[in-house]
Amino acid sequence: MDPVIRFNHVGFHYGGPWALRDVEFTVGEGELVGVLGANGSGKTTLLKIADGLLVPQKGEVFLKGRPLSIYSRAELAREVAMVPQETHFHFAFSVLEVVLMGRFPYLGRFQFEGRRDMEVAREALAATHSTELAERSIYELSGGEKQRVLIARALAQEPSLILLDEPTSFLDLKFKKEIFDLISSLVHSRSLSGLVVSHDIELAAAYCDKLVMLKHGRIASMGSPEDIVTSQNIEDVYGCPVVVDENPLTGAPRVSVV
Amino acid sequence: MDSHIIRRPLTPGRVLKVSSILGVSLAVTVIISLMLGTANVSLEDVLRMFFHGSQVKESARLIVLKIRLPRIFLAGFTGFSLSLGGLVFQALLRNPLADPFVLGVSSGAAFGAVMGIIFGVGFSIGVPLFSFCGALLTIYLVLTISRRKMGVESATAILAGVIVNAFFTAIIMFFIATSSEDRLHSMLFWLYGDLSQSQIAYSGIIAPVAFFGFALLYSFSRHLNLLAAGEEAALHLGVNVERAKFICFITVSLMVGLVVSFSGLIGFVGLIVPHLSRMILGSDHRLLMPVSALGGALFLIVADTAARTVISPSELPVGVITAFLGAPFFIYLLKTRGSRWTR
Repeated sequence: MDPVIRFNHVGFHYGGPWALRDVEFTVGEGELVGVLGANGSGKTTLLKIADGLLVPQKGEVFLKGRPLSIYSRAELAREVAMVPQETHFHFAFSVLEVVLMGRFPYLGRFQFEGRRDMEVAREALAATHSTELAERSIYELSGGEKQRVLIARALAQEPSLILLDEPTSFLDLKFKKEIFDLISSLVHSRSLSGLVVSHDIELAAAYCDKLVMLKHGRIASMGSPEDIVTSQNIEDVYGCPVVVDENPLTGAPRVSVV
Repeated sequence: MDSHIIRRPLTPGRVLKVSSILGVSLAVTVIISLMLGTANVSLEDVLRMFFHGSQVKESARLIVLKIRLPRIFLAGFTGFSLSLGGLVFQALLRNPLADPFVLGVSSGAAFGAVMGIIFGVGFSIGVPLFSFCGALLTIYLVLTISRRKMGVESATAILAGVIVNAFFTAIIMFFIATSSEDRLHSMLFWLYGDLSQSQIAYSGIIAPVAFFGFALLYSFSRHLNLLAAGEEAALHLGVNVERAKFICFITVSLMVGLVVSFSGLIGFVGLIVPHLSRMILGSDHRLLMPVSALGGALFLIVADTAARTVISPSELPVGVITAFLGAPFFIYLLKTRGSRWTR
């Protein structure tokens, strides 16, 4: 079976040096893949390519076996959803209105949301434990609540692939864990695929099935978290000496700066 | 949890209901406005004119049908277009201060119209065309000045608008100052919004553009919802952002260019009416569009009725009334509501 998304020797530049070089990996169905790397290593560029916002100059990306370039924007929005890092709202939309925005690619020009759209939105709210927030204004929410609502909006798109761009970077510890719990349970329970960019090495290692480490736009290492999260790899990618041992409670890798 | 029923936030029925209420209010306002003026005409006479015209005095008939009605129509379509334009600009730039006047589009259109008059092109088609080009030129300038790597910066766009506005107003003032004495007075009046020279033919030109523009913009109402939530988010959700923005900016420029060439510079309509609509009805543009457009028509008809009655038999430019009502109202809004657009 085809993987949900396949990066085939992808190279990309913004008109200067290569931001991504010869990137090759896949995300399979029900798989959560984490992308790690220092600032400027090409993580966000990778997500933008996966969402069709940037078109690689070299190589190609395949979504469910078809080249990404032949998808229209609306078609793509039905297959790939993005949860942004941080979103500022300038208008007082209600949470339900925000979630229903996820139905945009399914509706015609003059069409209003119907029963099915409401069902999907309700389900997305329930799945993200946000049902009670439905009538609230998006302004009133805390960072963690807002992130859950944005995940609900992504679910309302009924995508095959969900992209998350540092979804936890502005959250405190409790919410970081909550969001990763949520993402991993969503991906694993509903044959969704996830590609998450994160700076939280330990959380990514604890929840992802596979990790990709980027360095200067190249894949420095890739594989299961246990194999990848080593002091040598991390030092190489982040340029910062660390000690990696095992978390005595969970057995997951633990990274300490030295 | 089951007891928590989440209702659909907006239905076509609600849009129709709210629009109908406003439509009826608009009709009532038109009738009242037809009655008021230097010579008061009774309600019976006004109604009779439309149904059995023969029983009304010829002078009253002339005043109502040839003078007041064209003027009310022009005020209505002007308010309709400016207010809709403000709503759309605010969503596109995600800034509550954006409106055709603040962004300089109105004065750009006025500049175009003045150029047209100087070149002596025909008033019914030529001047509006010049005016439209002036509006387009302005929006192009403003967006180009404020374009950064990551797209248009909305705060810079407002600043650019203010500057372009000042520049075009200066040019217009120059031409007014150097033109002959007689034309000066009428142009000054026009600069502050003047509906007194209306002819019914003007509305014949504006009405189709206003309705066509509304329909076209309405087909982008959900796009505007998403754009209002952020351009990047809109892209992720499947909006063809560049195309939507291009069509919306051009359509608004066309509508604004046209009304400015007939009614001059009228500020605040595009700011107050959309703002008020959002405060009362939320953020969904499928509802806000008809409400702002009809509300804008209603507001400007009321303002113009005041302009021609408060110091009767003399008249004020309608822009004086809108600014006079608008500025304190706006300050009140800023003080009580903050600059955020909460419900």
